[in-house]
Order: sequence, then structure tokens, then C-alpha cells
Amino acid sequence: MKLEGLDESLVAAAQAGSTEAFSRLIERHQQAVRAFLRRACGDWALADDLAQETFLAAWPRIGRLRAGGSVRAWLCGIAHRKHLTARRSAGRSRTREATYEAERTPPAREALDDRITLETAMADLPPDQRACVALCLAADFSHAEAAEALDLPLGTVKSHVTRGRARLLVALGVQDEPC
Amino acid sequence: MNPADDRLKALFAQDAPPLRDPVFQAAVMQRLAKRRCVQDLAFLGGVSALGGLAMWALWPILQPVLTAISGPLAPGAAALAAALSAVAILGGFGDHAASADA
Repeated sequence: MKLEGLDESLVAAAQAGSTEAFSRLIERHQQAVRAFLRRACGDWALADDLAQETFLAAWPRIGRLRAGGSVRAWLCGIAHRKHLTARRSAGRSRTREATYEAERTPPAREALDDRITLETAMADLPPDQRACVALCLAADFSHAEAAEALDLPLGTVKSHVTRGRARLLVALGVQDEPC
Repeated sequence: MNPADDRLKALFAQDAPPLRDPVFQAAVMQRLAKRRCVQDLAFLGGVSALGGLAMWALWPILQPVLTAISGPLAPGAAALAAALSAVAILGGFGDHAASADA
């Protein structure tokens, strides 16, 4: 059975009330959802909490998932909205953290490895741009799939990915080669 | 894909969670079961409270009716209960016998 076909049969069974099928869907898609949230919010513990919340929110809504739809795009869409809600509710503490970060002496550039540089550059991207980069550059989503997941126009996703990619490459000091 | 994209992808891959994570999966299913249990309890509690309230409100009307019909209906109700019990016991025995044969 093809992977998409397996997803479809699991979704059908979950829509009929099978928690076992839903558990298999969690098993199959937890990596994509958690990876997306880790890249979108940068805080791994928060990302895993949000991933759990995503699956908890997905269970009562599984009936709304249309046949043939991408399960991972649908789940990442819920995850994105959960993340945006968490960002809004954590606004005050984030402001305090930003003030602290601004006052703190930054570590020497040499001491930062590429991964930390990437995380820092990702943190500087606007939320939607960051989500587009996390899906399209890190998780191999097509632009159309990312547009469906994030509920954004296709052109917006493409420009977010292009701009985000350029900013990340500049931060990493990587020379971009024309395709 | 050019080398710049390869490098980005390799860096992103470093923070990917494992392909399978039974602990995460179990944690979600446990929270889901807990949530469903709480919802079921809330529903049953609400129904019970409504039923109790209805009985309390209707008791002045129900009590004389029940007192009046309980005498003549008692033998029939006892026979019905015995018959239902017998069906339940024999039916259950039949299921066990069938599964043992299989």
C-alpha cells in the first residue's frame, strides 16, 4: 500500500472513531509536526507541548479532513495556529526576554557554530516567513502544500521562502549560486 | 538543489525529532484518553443531575401512581426480570461455548 493510501485508510478509520488508527497517524506524523514547531518557535520543550496540543485538537476535528487531503499539511496548519496563539499569549514575557537579549552582550561570532547562527537567523524572521522556511526548506513541503497548511496565498509563500532563504544564507555567510 | 540549499537542509536536519517516538505517542494518547474520560464524566454527571432534578420535581405526581400500580404489577415484573436474567445467563453461556468450539 502506498503511504498516501495508508494515510487515507487511517484517516477513514479515525473518522469512524478508531483511536488505534489515530495513534498510528500520530506515530507517522509526529516527526513532521514536532520538527516544524521546533523550527517555527525555537523552543524544543514548548514545541513538543504544542505538538501534543496539535494532536489533541486534531482528534475532534478529524471529520473535517477531506478525503485525499494531505494529513501532514493539515496537522502543520493546526500546529501553526497553535503556535501563533501561544506567541500572542506569551507576548509580555517575550517582550521581557527581548529586552534582556538586547541588553546582554552578544557572544563572539567565532564562538557560534552554524546551527546556533541558523537558529538565531530563524528567530529574526517574521512568523509567517519562518513557518514557510520551516516547511519548504527544512521539511520538503511543496509551495502549494505549505500554502494549504498555512492558509496563505501561493505567491506569498514563494516570496516568503525566497526572502527567508536569502536572509539565512547571509547569516551563515554562504555564497548563493544561481540555479 | 544547489550546495547552499544542501547546507541549509543538513543544518535543519540536526534538530529533527526521531522518526518514531513511542513516548510522545503514548503521552498524546494518554492525554486524549484523560480528556475523553473527563468529557464522559461531565456528560454523565449532567444527565444524572437533570434526571435527579426531574424526579424531585415530578415525585409528588409519580408517588401516588407508583403506589397504586406496584401491587398488581409486582408478579408480572418479577416474572419478566427472571426471564430476562435467564436469557442473559443462557445467552452468555452460548457465546462462551461458541468461542470454546472455535
